[in-house]
Amino acid sequence: MHRAYVGIGSNLGDRVLNLDRALAAIAAFGRILRRSSFYQTAPWGNPAQPWFLNAVVLLQTRLEPRALLASLRVVEEELGRVRSSRWGPRAMDLDLLLYDDREIDEPDLQVPHPHMHERAFVLVPLAEIDDRFETLRDALPAAELAGVVPLERESFTPMPEERALSASAHVRALAQFLAAGEVMRVRVQRADLDIEVAAQPHRSHERSGDRTSADSSLARIDTIKADLVGVFHAGRPAPLEGDVFDADRELGYIEALGIRTSIHSMGAGRLVSVAVRDGAAVEYGQPLFLVARGK
Amino acid sequence: MIANRGEIALRINRACQELGVLTVAIYSEADRDSLHVRQADEAFCVGPGPAGRSYLNIPNIISTALITGCEAIHPGYGFLAENARFAEICNDHGLTFIGPKPSVIALMGDKATAKRVVGEAGVATTPGSDVLASVEEAQEAAVSLGYPVLLKATAGGGGRGMRVVHDASEMSRAYAGATAEAEASFKDGRVYAERLIRGPRHIEVQVLGDEFGNLVHLGERDCSVQKPAHQKLVEETPAPTLSTRSRNALHEMALRAARYVGYTNAGTLEFLATGDDAYFMEMNTRIQVEHPVTEMVYNIDLVKEQIRIASGEPLGYTQRDLVARGHAIECRINAEDPRNNFSPAAGTVSNLVFPGGPGIRVDTHLYAGASISPFYDSMIAKIVAFGDTRDIAIARMERALRETLIEGVNTTIALCLEILATPAFRQGRYDIEFIPSQILSNGEVRTSR
Repeated sequence: MHRAYVGIGSNLGDRVLNLDRALAAIAAFGRILRRSSFYQTAPWGNPAQPWFLNAVVLLQTRLEPRALLASLRVVEEELGRVRSSRWGPRAMDLDLLLYDDREIDEPDLQVPHPHMHERAFVLVPLAEIDDRFETLRDALPAAELAGVVPLERESFTPMPEERALSASAHVRALAQFLAAGEVMRVRVQRADLDIEVAAQPHRSHERSGDRTSADSSLARIDTIKADLVGVFHAGRPAPLEGDVFDADRELGYIEALGIRTSIHSMGAGRLVSVAVRDGAAVEYGQPLFLVARGK
Repeated sequence: MIANRGEIALRINRACQELGVLTVAIYSEADRDSLHVRQADEAFCVGPGPAGRSYLNIPNIISTALITGCEAIHPGYGFLAENARFAEICNDHGLTFIGPKPSVIALMGDKATAKRVVGEAGVATTPGSDVLASVEEAQEAAVSLGYPVLLKATAGGGGRGMRVVHDASEMSRAYAGATAEAEASFKDGRVYAERLIRGPRHIEVQVLGDEFGNLVHLGERDCSVQKPAHQKLVEETPAPTLSTRSRNALHEMALRAARYVGYTNAGTLEFLATGDDAYFMEMNTRIQVEHPVTEMVYNIDLVKEQIRIASGEPLGYTQRDLVARGHAIECRINAEDPRNNFSPAAGTVSNLVFPGGPGIRVDTHLYAGASISPFYDSMIAKIVAFGDTRDIAIARMERALRETLIEGVNTTIALCLEILATPAFRQGRYDIEFIPSQILSNGEVRTSR
């Protein structure tokens, strides 16, 4: 198990909702051990620019740095394009700040994050959950610290979309790990979800490298995607994560221009993830369901 | 909704933002990282890379518009811009198609019909045939018109489905080629013949009409600098060396033709001009690639005007209020290799610097790191230079092209510089034979920088 600090920022749309969603998605990559308050950060120089909302989390994860970064990118992309409302927000920034005590300096992966020591919106939330950073925080100019103020919130109730969103993030994240060939085995565990996917190892990878035997009982995962633009309606009974079907099953339909197009499980399997809400608008290629085949 | 991609999608988005209109972009899987996807208020993927399954996917596009609550659809240029059926479908679903009425698109979209109708309005047209059903018919038509003739796709545009035929021996090959190309490009293989006018200038007139019968022109553009496949490369306004009498006559003809068909919204009438004569060639019932040069000299935003007109507002000005000032030139920067028969170049833009300074405008969807997809048109940027005089505009364009740096793909920048340096261009004495005769030899660029 590794420990990583991840910075979250949003400056468009419903920022609180954005951060809640990011937290839900990041939780899928391990376990969130600590989470800072949300901080409002005034824009510098140009007051016409929208304000930022920032937070930092400490994540316990099995993912290697590169795989974690790739997953964060996926979440960024996923949430940057979320259409919660008609004119949904876009901006979502996720930064890998620290990873254990590792120092990595590669063109596309730098840990610790190169600018974290200069940024009040990183150091203030970071110091809140890890007192080792208090000194660094206090070294920042007072004017900058004053620009970062905690957001007062009424509650931290997770948003109802949490499940669907993070599940959709899993789909893309898992696909990316395997495509990148960086990861041999991914396991995502949560109360309502348990996915494990393995790939054939290309080369040894740190300590996990010598564990070469692939478990043949592991399932293949298929993503059922939308192949047209429309509104998704779940079938009855509504498909639930964990449902097992022996044969092809209609999971719902997409309604477009008054025509319903059925969405099928494409054969037998176990429904490991529902990535779409009933009544949601879906675009071409959007992941809807994740179905495990085989055992 | 912006039913397009690339620079024109950004152009439309800009107009909407300035008008306070929210936008929905559509994109293909190949354009996931495109700028228009990021800049619009909302974006929907409508299909995979090939345009036939995404940017031409009418059901998905209409479905997106309805789901997102769009009120109007701007089609840009290309793709569905001149598809009368699409315009009709939009209207059937309560969506305003930003352009002329579907019936007018259909009328002018059929090039042979357009010429007949415009002829009825008393405007001179190039002598031509009706639709040609066979090689034999084509041969007969060519004989009665007199060789050389030009075969053109009746649904055509952008030089596709077009062939020059010098004598009878070339006809069957040219007919087959033009028909096949037209079928592939427009799903409509019909072609017709036109007498080839040697050494003409391609001059077009911009018109703008509202739904209350007000109609104005916004001067002309000379688009004679064309690549071998009749694809425009450099455009300017006003047209150099055009007498005031010919210029006025041209504007008058354009207005007469547009009024005759009850034209609304922005449109362009293309003419072939030779000496003091001009013949109507075709009408483009949409915004054009080269519209910025007109915007520069008339200080008007044509895309905003399109949206305003489509929302039912009157023009609010008359011809007398419109006064052009100065001179504007546009160079199209394409990702293609002029030394290799203009073959499109796909790739990733590794480094990018665009010009700036007085009198320069750049319309582009490029950014450093952008990948140029092989699925779509190769135009990646338009550089526009404005000056009080033509000489100033040329000087600005030259220094702007030198300031421009696009690394990672071959472009037409060097070719444009070469064109600007040619004495014939400097003197404004050029026609559509200019690139083939002065710049290219054996189909290749003679010199390179």
